[in-house]
Amino acid sequence: MLELKDIRLSYGSTQVLNGVNLSVKRGDVASIIGPSGTGKTTLLKCINYLAKPSSGTIAFDQIQMDYQHADKTAIQAIRLRTAMVFQQFNVFKNMTVIQNVMDPLVVVQRKSREEAREIALRELERVGLSSKQDSYPSQLSGGQLQRTGIARALAVRPDVMLFDEPTSSLDPELVGEVLKVIKDVTSSGITSLLVTHEMQFAKSISNRIIFMDRGVVAADGSPTEIFDSPSSLRLAQFLNSEHSLQ
Amino acid sequence: MDVSAMIPELLSALPLTLAITFTAIIAGFCLALLATTLRVRRVPVISHLADLYVSYARSVPVVLQLFVAFYGLPLLVVLFGSEDFFSPTIAAMVALSFYHGGYLSEVMRPAYLAVDRGQHDAADSLGYTFRQKIARVVGPQAVHFALPGYGNSIIYLIHNVALVMYIGAADVMATAHLIMQRDYNQYQFETYLVLAVIYALMCLIAWLIVRFFELRSPMQAPEATTKAQIKNALIASA
Ligand SMILES: Nc1ncnc2c1ncn2[C@@H]1O[C@H](COP(=O)(O)OP(=O)(O)O)[C@@H](O)[C@H]1O
Ligand SMILES: [Mg+2]
Repeated sequence: MLELKDIRLSYGSTQVLNGVNLSVKRGDVASIIGPSGTGKTTLLKCINYLAKPSSGTIAFDQIQMDYQHADKTAIQAIRLRTAMVFQQFNVFKNMTVIQNVMDPLVVVQRKSREEAREIALRELERVGLSSKQDSYPSQLSGGQLQRTGIARALAVRPDVMLFDEPTSSLDPELVGEVLKVIKDVTSSGITSLLVTHEMQFAKSISNRIIFMDRGVVAADGSPTEIFDSPSSLRLAQFLNSEHSLQ
Repeated sequence: MDVSAMIPELLSALPLTLAITFTAIIAGFCLALLATTLRVRRVPVISHLADLYVSYARSVPVVLQLFVAFYGLPLLVVLFGSEDFFSPTIAAMVALSFYHGGYLSEVMRPAYLAVDRGQHDAADSLGYTFRQKIARVVGPQAVHFALPGYGNSIIYLIHNVALVMYIGAADVMATAHLIMQRDYNQYQFETYLVLAVIYALMCLIAWLIVRFFELRSPMQAPEATTKAQIKNALIASA
């Protein structure tokens, strides 16, 4: 359903993505792993054009776009069908929890306030935040902020969820509550791309693991293939270093 | 003669001072919004003109800006072939609107830039248009960052309105001088003292209004949210 071809992107003189190819099938839960600074976040952001590749193509079901001739209609169409959960949460700071979830529904999808509220309440229930619906972000913990971010993303009913290290900014004791929600989301069958350093978690929820290294996809396979018989020295070294961190 | 007799006389000029102030607040706000938009969006040439305008408004002494408007505007009007209708009051309104707008743009621009990049990313990723993003997310947060600086800019504006007497507008300051001359300069100290109180009160009111909005902002520390708490906080800060 989603296919990226030969994505290249550089910031100034540093090449960040060096021709990434990636295809995602409907229902895939694919975890992207790899060393820091290797372009994982940038790759996710290329999908919804928060980052602007210098070349490459994207195909999202019927929507096709060549990044050299990026067009607004295609970008908007893709943005409407994806939703992103950010490492830094990026919950709207001027809105309460429920307003965060309702706003895109009212503003972008033009739903009525009643309908938006109904959907928001359901999603907040799902992430366990019903009691916090009227709190402002400044009153919430990191875990609650991230669950707000997840509820906001789910509420727009995306075809693909993009998670960018959703637990990396959390205090260790708050990681569990967020992983639990993500597990619940991914097991509901929604296509997901998840950048993460939580190896055990990735292994348990994914049907695919994508190893990115130095701006390219260096390995792509089932969790067993990647974790139990790493195909390259770089991958084995990376898994080892991650393992010793945990 | 009773010293206090001059108070109503001074106050009779207050509406003009207030009219100039409010005109500059409103027109200046619009100018600042326009200048800031042009400056943050970096449209070639036009953004540079906006930069030029802001540095004029911020670096040329306000008295000089008043003179420039007072002597320059009639020329401009003649250029467009219409009658000379520029009174000192209108020149003052125009000059101070431009001054305030330029000054305010340097409050708005940093406030806009202070909004976390991630807030833009989130709104963009959800499909907000640029306008929707500004109206719903970035604008309200920028307002929060801008409020303290906005309060200051209003206070500076009020102070600078006192300069309009140099181009002959009959504000409270000019009126005070007329009264003093008429009274053979007997009550200079008293008159200036009353004037000082009038200006202090105007600034205090402006500052309290801005402070009210600061405390009401949802991004403020969550404690000050009920009406009673806002009132207490206002009294405490006054
Ligand atoms: N906005 C940016 N401007 C300049 N360099 C950037 C920007 N974003 C990311 N980079 C650089 O691009 C590289 C890849 O970043 P990123 O995609 O965040 O990696 P990862 O998510 O794998 O840690 C890093 O070297 C980072 O410093
Ligand atoms: Mg990253």
